[in-house]
Amino acid sequence: MSSFVLALLLLPFIGAIVTFVVGKLNKKIPFFLAYIFSIVLFVDVVYLFSVYEQPFVIDYEWFRFGENALPFGIYIDKLSLIMLLIATGLGLLDIHFSHDYMKEEKDQARYYAKMLFFIGGMILLVSAKELLGLFVGWEFMGLASYLLISFWHYNKAPADAGVAAFLYTKFGDIFLFAAIGLLFYFTKTLDIATLNHLAATNQIDSTLMYVIAIFIFIAAIGKSGQFPLFPWLMRAMEGPTTVSALIHGATMVNSGIYIVARMFDFYVASQALIVVAAVAALSAFVGATSALVQSEMKKVLAYSTMSHLSLAFIGLGAGSLAAGMTHLVNHAIFKALLFLSAGAVILVAHHTKDMWKLGALGKKLFLVALFMGMGILSLSGLPPFSGFYSKDAVILSTLTNPQTFGLISSLTLIAGVLSIAYGGRLWVLLFVSPQKDEKLHNSIKTPSLFWIALPLGVMAVLTLALGFFQEELISFITSTKGSEEHIGWLFPFMMGVIVFFAFLVWFFYYKRLDLLQKVSAQPLMKTIHQILFHGYYVERMIEWFVQTIILGVVTSFVAFIEKNIIDKAVNGVVWLSYKVFLLFGLSKSSQVSNQVGGMVLGVVVLVFVMLVRNFI
Amino acid sequence: MSYVALIFAPLVFSGFLYLFTKKSPLAKYIVLGYFVFLFVETLFLYLQLPQNGYLMLGKFLEVKEFGFILTLEIDRLSSVMLLLTSLLLILVTLSSWSMQKESAYFSLLLFFSGAIFGVFMSTNLMWFFIFWELTLIPMYFLVGIWGGDGRVYAALKFFLYTHVASMFILLAFFLIFKQTATFDMTQIQESMLVTPTLIWWLLFVGFAVKMPLFPFHTWLPDAHVEASAPISVLLAGVLLKMGAYAMIRFVILMLPQEAHKYAFVLLGAGILSLLYAGVMALYETHLKKMVAYSSISHMGLVAIGMATLSYEGLSAALFEMIGHAFIIAPLFLIAGFFHYKTQSWQMQDLGGIMQKAPYISALFVLAGLGALGLPATMGFVGEITIFLSALDTYGAWVAFIAFGAMIGSGYIIWTLRRVIYGPMSQKVQESNFSISWVEFFALAVFGIAIVAFGVYPQALFDAINEVFSAYNLGGAM
Repeated sequence: MSSFVLALLLLPFIGAIVTFVVGKLNKKIPFFLAYIFSIVLFVDVVYLFSVYEQPFVIDYEWFRFGENALPFGIYIDKLSLIMLLIATGLGLLDIHFSHDYMKEEKDQARYYAKMLFFIGGMILLVSAKELLGLFVGWEFMGLASYLLISFWHYNKAPADAGVAAFLYTKFGDIFLFAAIGLLFYFTKTLDIATLNHLAATNQIDSTLMYVIAIFIFIAAIGKSGQFPLFPWLMRAMEGPTTVSALIHGATMVNSGIYIVARMFDFYVASQALIVVAAVAALSAFVGATSALVQSEMKKVLAYSTMSHLSLAFIGLGAGSLAAGMTHLVNHAIFKALLFLSAGAVILVAHHTKDMWKLGALGKKLFLVALFMGMGILSLSGLPPFSGFYSKDAVILSTLTNPQTFGLISSLTLIAGVLSIAYGGRLWVLLFVSPQKDEKLHNSIKTPSLFWIALPLGVMAVLTLALGFFQEELISFITSTKGSEEHIGWLFPFMMGVIVFFAFLVWFFYYKRLDLLQKVSAQPLMKTIHQILFHGYYVERMIEWFVQTIILGVVTSFVAFIEKNIIDKAVNGVVWLSYKVFLLFGLSKSSQVSNQVGGMVLGVVVLVFVMLVRNFI
Repeated sequence: MSYVALIFAPLVFSGFLYLFTKKSPLAKYIVLGYFVFLFVETLFLYLQLPQNGYLMLGKFLEVKEFGFILTLEIDRLSSVMLLLTSLLLILVTLSSWSMQKESAYFSLLLFFSGAIFGVFMSTNLMWFFIFWELTLIPMYFLVGIWGGDGRVYAALKFFLYTHVASMFILLAFFLIFKQTATFDMTQIQESMLVTPTLIWWLLFVGFAVKMPLFPFHTWLPDAHVEASAPISVLLAGVLLKMGAYAMIRFVILMLPQEAHKYAFVLLGAGILSLLYAGVMALYETHLKKMVAYSSISHMGLVAIGMATLSYEGLSAALFEMIGHAFIIAPLFLIAGFFHYKTQSWQMQDLGGIMQKAPYISALFVLAGLGALGLPATMGFVGEITIFLSALDTYGAWVAFIAFGAMIGSGYIIWTLRRVIYGPMSQKVQESNFSISWVEFFALAVFGIAIVAFGVYPQALFDAINEVFSAYNLGGAM
């Protein structure tokens, strides 16, 4: 058994190295190597899943410094298994899809090696027994996203986007780092299960617990793109679309929710869940409203990711592990589907990302339109797609929890129903609204059935089929039954609003595009559009703060001190000692070498005088 | 073989080497061969260390009246430093392989090796001081002759600054002699000093300059900028480590009571260096100055580790010292290489080098990731162990030093963006980034070490943990 677990952890990294080294030989090799490795990984996880009885635990001591030992254990339970299935399963489909999507790319070896490394980071993260191992995986993902987002590093925009991804998430990471230090200092353990147990039995100081829960949540905010650390998520769209699918569906952004879910008992005991819910509700609203007006299809999906991850956080924050985790799982699948569908469109449309330039692709890309449509229905929360069940559960949990009832539940509800608006808008603009650029339209060819449509189809079927297994999913993750509570008005209300929004989208984006232009020409609408389009100017504000305050004022101030005080002080001492030296009348020469000698001697004399007077 | 030859043979023969190989390229082969021999020799010495950790190598040149005996004795700490030094000397020689032709350069390296071995091996304060000063002479010439445009100023500043600092050390040593009538380190440790506080402060300032710690660091950016790349490695990897070694040896282990009393000074200087130099590195657009400030920042981290005065913290500090040597060396070497090819230090003139020189750029990225403390590099291990030990000694409030990691990420990632990634600049387009395989080999060794010891740090900690277990570090804080 343990050999399968070890293989799971090591193979991605070995695969990355092998792919990189061997892949330099031939352009075809990297894909097949990476493909084989990801199939093996997926089969390995499926095998572990099928034989699962109780958590696999491997204890291992990483290293020992002084008397302290830092552990690096493996712990794979049901929660990890679900995440592993997502990471390796969607990762496999993603690599499958890359065959055509990255065909033109010269540097195949680098691409596939980094993809495997990315998947490996996620596997490490979800298999870690201690927070330390989790942190290692956490940082690996930060690195992998940095390297992959700036994959086309020779262009300015992707290179900048990589920097943003790294630094935004790193800002969160230092809080996780600090939390690890504090936990190690106060509790002497980093084992997550032990920490949960200690927290649940009130053996940790409540203030400490609260602080640490907040610190870890800040790290999760960074990784999962929550308010206000989300701008990197949108900038990340500069990377290849397959990478976006991997970041948004299979791996990286899920890790923030995973860590809160993993430490759920700790969060419950720390009373910090309400903070999680509040921040997430704000993010859900910001994300959903911003997604409404984006013109790049990938940015719509990026904001929608932000919004839907927030829904998962809200589920956790409202105290329902089941709602949060099932939404995470369902979201991972339909979001990967949506991203890859968008990728298929981008591929055939010669890297046109602006959906206002496309349109009427439904006939040419029938399968893509069909599968993407299924993904959007799931995103919007229509039964019987899986997205419906978990989104409903999240909203229900906020309504039934008296702490989150009110502002948080309202924001959640708004964010929840807006999905159909931006999702539907995306779909209508791409597939049914009239074509805008004939030349572009005519050059579009139907993509490959096997390499492009197949993975989309698999995911579309999954997102539909998973809807029928929600009970099983919940009982697998939480070992309990789903909540029995129901609110009678919720379902008809949701359906009514969704249908209404769907009608609005159909009306404005298909039927009466002229009306839309008139409405959006209004000054007020223009202002709102600008605010939403720029994601509430959060990125501008952060950028201003970093560029002007940190890089401008603070560093200039420190540099001023360095040049004018610290360095001048040194010269001042030299000058002073030279004067003292002259005072003794030892030199009247102005020769440089004499001056230098004088300086040295002067300092020595000064020090000696001091000493003689004080001590001898 | 008499071990005293390890010190004096290079000192004497460097002169002969210069005279006899003036016109032939033989010098570098001889020096390289000697350094390899030196590495093997120190490895043997390390393996010979007895259980208690002390290996007496003999006493020489006795002038009893003045307590002037060259006592050579090594313990685990000094033997680890010797190993690191001799390894770095090999790699420094290799990295100068094609860029330096003159035998004087290699003769000075040889001279330096003798002096530095003297520093690490002698336990007599007077001789320690002599060797300590002797290291300055080759460094002065190495910076002053083979440096950049402002090399004379930089070399002089470096020389004077550290030389004046040495005066503090000398004074402290005289005071010790006045009170104990001996220069022998082990005897001093047992005796009661009358004014230990003054001695502690003098030693602290003297060694803080060498390390360097805020606010005594201003000589370092200048010296680094003007020195050629391999000499920068020597400065950062060996000379700074010499300061850190002396800090541990004298300020902490020789005067444990005072160290406990004033550890907060060391901690403060360390934290200030970490953050202040980090911010300076953010500010710099001069590639090599950025690396130099990042070096100071990391030495601040080392000082924090030392200031814990605990078995864990000192082990962590020693690990970080070694890690810093391996990480900063490729950064300096590659920065120097970029400058050599493009004739520019300014980051805005560079950019997009990844497209021209992917492997060297990848190594630069790797070393940069080590510097910002990414897991699976030596930088992370040093960072987290020092962080945990600092919390252990000083409590939860020091957790804010985690911000140092944010600053570190900032300057490294922005530097990578400006130098390695992005569109190619005019200068980069015009330059040819070919590198000789010898130099690439030296770089690759650093790269492999950064990852290997980062993934499996136990290999180093096996040795490091033993270093401080031999010492009595005094009571708890």
